[in-house]
Amino acid sequence: MTLSPERKRELLCQMYTIRAFEEKAEELYAMGKVHGTMHLSIGMEASAVGSIAALRPDDLILSTHRGHGHCIAKGADLNKMMAEFMGKETGYCRGRGGSMHIADVESGNLGANGVVAGGIPIAVGVGLGLKMQKRDQIILCFFGDGAANTGAFHESLNMAAIWSLPVVYVCENNQYAMSLSVRKAFAIERISDRAAAYGIPGVTVDGNDVMAVYEAVKKAVDRARAGGGPTLVENVTYRWRGHSKSDVNRYRTREEIEAWKKKCPIKRFRARLIEEGILTEEEADRIRDEAYAAVDAAVAFAEASPEPSLDTIEEGVYA
Amino acid sequence: MRELSYAEAIREALRQEMQRDERVFIIGEDVGVYGGAFGVTLGLIEEFGEERVIDTPISELTIAGAITGAALVGMRPVGEIMFMDFITLASEQLVNQAAKIRFMFGGKEKVPFVLRTPAGSGTGAAAQHSQSLENWFVHIPGLKVVMPSTPYDAKGLLIASIRDDNPVIFVEHKLLYKVKGPVPEEPYTIPLGTAEVKREGRDLTIIATSIMVQRALQAAEQLAEEGIEVEVVDPRTLKPLDKETIIRSVIKTGRVLIVHEACKTGGFGGELAAVIAESEAFDYLDAPIVRLAGRDIPIPYNRTLEYHAVPQVENIVEAARRLAEGRV
Amino acid sequence: MATPVIMPKLEMAQETATVIEWLKKEGEYVEKGEPLLVVETDKVTVEIESPASGILAGVRVGPGDVVPVTQIIAYILQPGEELPEGARVEPAPPPPPPSLAPSAAPPPPPPSPAPSAAPPPPPPSPAPSAAPPPPHAGAPPATPVALRLAEAYGVDLRTVVGTGPGGQITRADVEAALARREERPAAPPPPERVRATPAARRIARERGVDLRAVRGTGPRGRVQAADVLAFAAAPSAAPAPAPEVIPLAGMRRTIAERMTASYQTAPHITFTVRVDMEAFESARARLNEEAEATGGPRVSVTALLVKAVAWALRRHPWLNSTLQGEEIHLLPEVNVGVAVALDEGLIVPVIRQADRKGIAEIAAEVSDLVARAREGRLTPADVAGGTFTLSNLGPFGIEQFTAIINPPQAAILAVGAARREPVVNEAGEIVVRPVMRMTLSADHRIVDGAQAARFLVDLKEVLETPILLLW
Repeated sequence: MTLSPERKRELLCQMYTIRAFEEKAEELYAMGKVHGTMHLSIGMEASAVGSIAALRPDDLILSTHRGHGHCIAKGADLNKMMAEFMGKETGYCRGRGGSMHIADVESGNLGANGVVAGGIPIAVGVGLGLKMQKRDQIILCFFGDGAANTGAFHESLNMAAIWSLPVVYVCENNQYAMSLSVRKAFAIERISDRAAAYGIPGVTVDGNDVMAVYEAVKKAVDRARAGGGPTLVENVTYRWRGHSKSDVNRYRTREEIEAWKKKCPIKRFRARLIEEGILTEEEADRIRDEAYAAVDAAVAFAEASPEPSLDTIEEGVYA
Repeated sequence: MRELSYAEAIREALRQEMQRDERVFIIGEDVGVYGGAFGVTLGLIEEFGEERVIDTPISELTIAGAITGAALVGMRPVGEIMFMDFITLASEQLVNQAAKIRFMFGGKEKVPFVLRTPAGSGTGAAAQHSQSLENWFVHIPGLKVVMPSTPYDAKGLLIASIRDDNPVIFVEHKLLYKVKGPVPEEPYTIPLGTAEVKREGRDLTIIATSIMVQRALQAAEQLAEEGIEVEVVDPRTLKPLDKETIIRSVIKTGRVLIVHEACKTGGFGGELAAVIAESEAFDYLDAPIVRLAGRDIPIPYNRTLEYHAVPQVENIVEAARRLAEGRV
Repeated sequence: MATPVIMPKLEMAQETATVIEWLKKEGEYVEKGEPLLVVETDKVTVEIESPASGILAGVRVGPGDVVPVTQIIAYILQPGEELPEGARVEPAPPPPPPSLAPSAAPPPPPPSPAPSAAPPPPPPSPAPSAAPPPPHAGAPPATPVALRLAEAYGVDLRTVVGTGPGGQITRADVEAALARREERPAAPPPPERVRATPAARRIARERGVDLRAVRGTGPRGRVQAADVLAFAAAPSAAPAPAPEVIPLAGMRRTIAERMTASYQTAPHITFTVRVDMEAFESARARLNEEAEATGGPRVSVTALLVKAVAWALRRHPWLNSTLQGEEIHLLPEVNVGVAVALDEGLIVPVIRQADRKGIAEIAAEVSDLVARAREGRLTPADVAGGTFTLSNLGPFGIEQFTAIINPPQAAILAVGAARREPVVNEAGEIVVRPVMRMTLSADHRIVDGAQAARFLVDLKEVLETPILLLW
């Protein structure tokens, strides 16, 4: 259960990479270089990294519209991610998917989803398929607090439970479904309490503590792999930026955002590693700088990449 | 050749494919123990077990999601939506997920499943259990839509659909389940996207789908006695559509009557009419293209009203006669 | 290195933002992430944070400025740094507008500049001067070439968009307007006008059958394939009688268009008075004696009518006006047009400033114009600038008729033949007098009944008492 120092350094590097990627994405958007919109996960790095740290490389994930972090933690190639972002032919989805629909099948990311709760029923199918083929992989399905109120959530958790499917459902509760606060959207205190309604275990953890997330998800992953069925893990976290690029944060206060920034998952983990003697300040800085440099390199790759050709516009509809 | 009912032909297709390929499984409401609401899957759970014939709670959305997810990791599911009316509940997963995954993800993944669903009226099930919504799915890129009209076509098309690597909506008709016809014993496929000329004729072409094929053939018998020779074309697959066969027939006869059960407005007939008008068949049309379809009403409960809500043989006869006689 | 502060793109469809206020001053030290300034977008007011720590410098926009997104608005300098060379850096090229409606087809090209609704308000009426008044009073100015072209082809300059300086109409503009009018060749109507099925057309094409000659047996007379085949099989059968077809082209077409437009646009009110023509005729006879004696031009009824009409118009300027958009322009000159019947239609040459010319001059002009009209030798100048039209069908024996106003004029006078009729005189006796009926059609948008009445009464009076022409 305990991770090696090497592994912990990797996790910090992943978190910095996610932060660098998201900040760069924001910058590119402000410069008018990215079409459409994007949903940034700045502040939520521990939830993505800690959850995925509990997986084997051949385990699968389903991600959300706020999924850049999931993709990176699962081992994505930054160049291809950035190229997809900018709609280029060299992107993961040949420029057809964009920010909300990145999929990296080789790394086990079955795709981000533009429909809230879109992946939750698909996870049932994936779990069913894995179980029927007697593969010992598991599927980890991310979703947000908003998705927890959809009909899909109810139907799917029930089905995963009745068939004991190898699914881990991870709810990234960042306190807001677009503009609606969880305080207004739920009559219960903890989303993980709903697990009991389906007869499965549920647990709520501090989503900004990467090790706490890791431990909770690891238990759930082991349970699923052993045939013990699904678990609902709730990572309580917070997104620093608005829901999307059109969000001007009318529904929350600057003070609230600042308060959460103080609980920054990267700062906390970095401090802890230095305290544990696993890293020095200089080494931590170096990890950070390498992460930012890698993202810069990805931007250069993406900018130099070609646009898709109009002749290929109808490709990829049917197999 | 021995005869099977439409339902039996579908069952045989399922059985033979499940025997051939262990990735094929059935999932839906009451498909296992109950044997299917229309008895189509009777006996399959006994043969293949509950791991491969899976009864679900009433969760259409997640049935659709489950077949999508399972297909993504290499299975070849055959899902069932008990009445096509309930496909509305499953639409999110069918339209936004299954249909689009391959394209959105740059052509890398595929979603091979079949979603079977009984459609159509005539059983007194009234407005919410009698619809024909196939045209909604013809409209969505990424999906295929199949509508067999005979037991022979049903078995061959279902086997082909199961083996197709795309999501296929397989639309059956409740009133056809008991109709019998010759069906070969061995597995066979009918390629998707191929229409069939079910009857040859010179005077006019009737293009019909699902149960209307039967009715058109009956109408053709009657009209033959009046000296009117009707050609009946069954598209079999609505998407992808076999335009060539249709166009060839229209060029031959110059007169077209399109017959389907679904409501006329926004129905598949409009698409067919446009396909014909845009093709070289246009120069051979000797009359306007005529559509005979369901009235633009929900299906009524009363038996007589229900009967007259959709085209029947006598309606087809009359419309075809007027068309053949140049009175349209 | 100096870090540029750009106006960021904050929303999907945003193109600009307005600066509200700077929160930091030039030269102040700022931390990365600190709010620098407040801007306003379509939706809301937002604070922009500093992209780096350093000194704020090179501020180039201020409150109220509307700034395109991605444009540099300031710099953050490190201590000791200078602003970049010629801090007038070009802003990044604006991104292409996001296509919000995904569709396969490219957006349709913008509509070609067609004459649109209301033309720009015309310049005020020119002061009476030697220069001829604008041909279509109130139309935007046009080059002389454009004017001639427009007159020759009957193009109403008020419907032409001018692309010259100040909206002046050029020759090219008139030519473009002409091209749009699609002058049809004088060919028989295309077979597409016949109701026929596509199959019938194909067979007709293949066999060289004229569809117009085929009798259709389909609904609404539609020609079906069998009909064409039957026809082709019996070529000796006499073709169905067809009407003689004359395409609506040239002058006929122009008249059709203008008269329709006039009738549909101007609410016509009509007034008829009877005029006792004895004094008129004796005056005319006396004038013609003079003409013969001096070798001058013969004075026709029309010529003398022109003189009288011009006299009356001078006293009733509203009948000598034109409606331009929302303005009535009382025209400074009285230019009376005289309708001349031709084989192919009619044309209206104009006697300019008829109120200022003597009868001899008018008579000479009328003769000349009518002759040249009948020979087809009128020039654009001959038909330009009319302010009122006189149409005399007396020579055709018509007693009374109603004419349609010649746009953009306010009225038209239709004059019938003078006939000897029984009339009741002031003493209550029935006497036989030469009576002529004249009918005024006026545009009710400009002229009311009373005005028209007054004009007609005056005109009647001067016709019945020609000496008043000297007043």
